[in-house]
Amino acid sequence: MEKKVEKYDVVIIGGGAAGMTAGIYCGRARLKTLIIEKSLVGGLATYTNEIENYPGFPEGSTGIELMNLFQKQAKKFNVDFKLTDVRSVDFTADVKIVETFRVRYEAKAVIVASGGKPRLTNAQGEAEFLFDKGISFCATCDAAANSGKDILVIGSGDAAIEEGMFLTKFARKVYVSVMHDTGKMDCNEIAKAEALHNPKMEFIWNTVVERFEGNERLETVVLKNLKTTEMVPVKVDSCFIFIGYLPNTEIFKDILPMTRGGYLLTNEKMETSIQGVFAAGDVRDKFLKQVATAVGDGAIAGYAVEKYIAESEMFETQILNHGYPSLVYVYNAIDPQSRDHLSLLDRYGTENPEIKVCKVDVYKSDGLAKRLGVTKYPMLVFVNHNRIQGETEIIDEKSLRTIVS
Amino acid sequence: MKEYRLDCLGEACPIPLIKAEKKMETMAVSDVLIVMIDHSCAMKNVPEWARKQGHNVDIEEVGDGEWEVIIEKVK
Repeated sequence: MEKKVEKYDVVIIGGGAAGMTAGIYCGRARLKTLIIEKSLVGGLATYTNEIENYPGFPEGSTGIELMNLFQKQAKKFNVDFKLTDVRSVDFTADVKIVETFRVRYEAKAVIVASGGKPRLTNAQGEAEFLFDKGISFCATCDAAANSGKDILVIGSGDAAIEEGMFLTKFARKVYVSVMHDTGKMDCNEIAKAEALHNPKMEFIWNTVVERFEGNERLETVVLKNLKTTEMVPVKVDSCFIFIGYLPNTEIFKDILPMTRGGYLLTNEKMETSIQGVFAAGDVRDKFLKQVATAVGDGAIAGYAVEKYIAESEMFETQILNHGYPSLVYVYNAIDPQSRDHLSLLDRYGTENPEIKVCKVDVYKSDGLAKRLGVTKYPMLVFVNHNRIQGETEIIDEKSLRTIVS
Repeated sequence: MKEYRLDCLGEACPIPLIKAEKKMETMAVSDVLIVMIDHSCAMKNVPEWARKQGHNVDIEEVGDGEWEVIIEKVK
């Protein structure tokens, strides 16, 4: 089957908080923008029942409601959404390629905002009972089905305890397996105090999952006490695992630099080491993963992409001048001496209309200078036939004539 | 290649997933199943399950909060 080809200015992989914020910025900058999301728009935030620390919503909001507002705003700026999964990417050329099952997308820039997925315990029997067979990662999805049932929650972070408390509204009993000593949890103090007072919650300290047992469905989770090595079988109807997340970066292996854990490395402009490829949100190696920080990442990435694309166009039309001769003056506008040379260049431009004179100020961004390979300023570069023919640090009439000839 | 439609509108998790699983068992390779859903949690587990099985999955948003999950059986 021949794949359809579609062209965009920017393709954003992942429709969570980071991807949609980047989309809002790109769309508002009038870039033709596509967001590719593999399932439900909103990403990980839609797995959280309550979001109470995202500013602007004093009454709190559910993850799904908040993300629907993000999507509405992105659509307002004409961002396209495609609900499918990305099969492969090719970032080797200037035109970036993102392939899905049916379409090959060609873009000037790509933002990777693919987020993460729940981490598994890797205990014996786990794979047999995932999702609808008794092991869940989404209290919002599966709480109602557990009305009057016995549940085990694995983990003690914010997600584990908050989701656990939500589950007590439905379940008969909620056991919580915590790997730390009695009374020690990874969640915030408020959640901890509430959980410890919740009569439906029972904590099993110093334990991790040894194995999952059952026939068609999960029946028993065998916990192992880390101190005594004693096995603790817990009869349950469902088990909810909240022990962190893994970044969705399998398709970027050997393409983008990442940490040992698979998180993508970027600088503060959200640039990866490949020009034109950016990363934002939970997929990045960063200190705090929240909707609020994902939004910050997305805004920076969206802005950076707009600058990158503008610079690319300027590089093509002004500096390379479509293969015709151009004289490029790279300078820093805050340096008075460098500014003094501007009149010399203007005069040269008027006297020699066959050569395009182009002034690149590095004060706000050194992107264009980097593309030219110029790191010292001021510098005069002569470009012809799309190649650098000569460069000089001495800026006067004589060196101007020498470099051009 | 045959195309089947599965109406799961108004049905909550895990019913759409169970229905899709059962229907897929009866289908031949390269047949296509279109699951109509309007429950957001089915948008998480139906495509995820289908991809895990190795099938080709595409989703169309047909209305506000209404989706068609298109699954092509590959094995």
